[in-house]
Amino acid sequence: MTTPDLLTCEQTFARLDDYLDRELSAEEQEAVQRHLETCDVCTAEYRFEGSLLDELERKVRSLRPPSGLKARIAARLAAARDGNGSDEGP
Amino acid sequence: MSDDGSTSPSGDDFEALLEPLLSPAYGYACHLAGDRGEAEDLLQEAALAAFRGFRSFRPGSNFKAWFYRILTNCFYARHRRRQRRPVTVELEDAPDLFLFQRTAELGLHGSDDDPARRLLRKLSQWQILAAFAALPADFRVVASLYFVDDLKYDEIADVLHLPLGTVRSRLHRGRKMLQKTLWNVAVEAGVASAPGAAGGVAP
Repeated sequence: MTTPDLLTCEQTFARLDDYLDRELSAEEQEAVQRHLETCDVCTAEYRFEGSLLDELERKVRSLRPPSGLKARIAARLAAARDGNGSDEGP
Repeated sequence: MSDDGSTSPSGDDFEALLEPLLSPAYGYACHLAGDRGEAEDLLQEAALAAFRGFRSFRPGSNFKAWFYRILTNCFYARHRRRQRRPVTVELEDAPDLFLFQRTAELGLHGSDDDPARRLLRKLSQWQILAAFAALPADFRVVASLYFVDDLKYDEIADVLHLPLGTVRSRLHRGRKMLQKTLWNVAVEAGVASAPGAAGGVAP
């Protein structure tokens, strides 16, 4: 994909998710950054989407396994290894 | 090492590879299943399936991608059997910047506090799980891998055996849909007001 010198708002928005995820080429990443430096509307959208992603990641990754999960899985694996017929699973 | 000199993975190898993955895999399973109890069942089922199929794992290749693929397959098998939540067509047309617009309509953009954080902090983990669970399965899988485990697009493509472009497209659309399901959950929980109703995000 060729990157024009200065992106329009529409072109910037089309790249916003990839920009937030750092999945653009270095050239495109810089082009989006240049647009954001000159456009308050796109910058507000970018900040909103960025903080939404950050907060969602924080909440999603705070889930912890219940105590005993590892032991229960180890027990099922041990039963399977011993050929326990009751452990055929659903 | 087997008798013929080739390397053959053992049960001990399996458990050593699986153990550090259990915590993130549990998070992934929760967002697929939408429920902690069902997530544990799903993870146990995947661990057992992976253990039984461990001989097909090539030593030195990506165990995490291999195990997550099995976990994802277990999820799809359960999902096909149950189909408890039909895909809602209204999610397919989720507009761009859905939450940005909704929070702007509520007048949250003028305050010092970050409107996105302000809304999400009002939602519990259960409500976040419900928002993921409302996504169609293909989008839920990609969004869960992305959010729970910080996988890059090419890593998600490796887990799911999908072209990179398909992952990119599903993730972009899935994120748009997720904004709508998060909003629906917030409105249902009374955390935010539906359009036209008085009030905004509950204090």
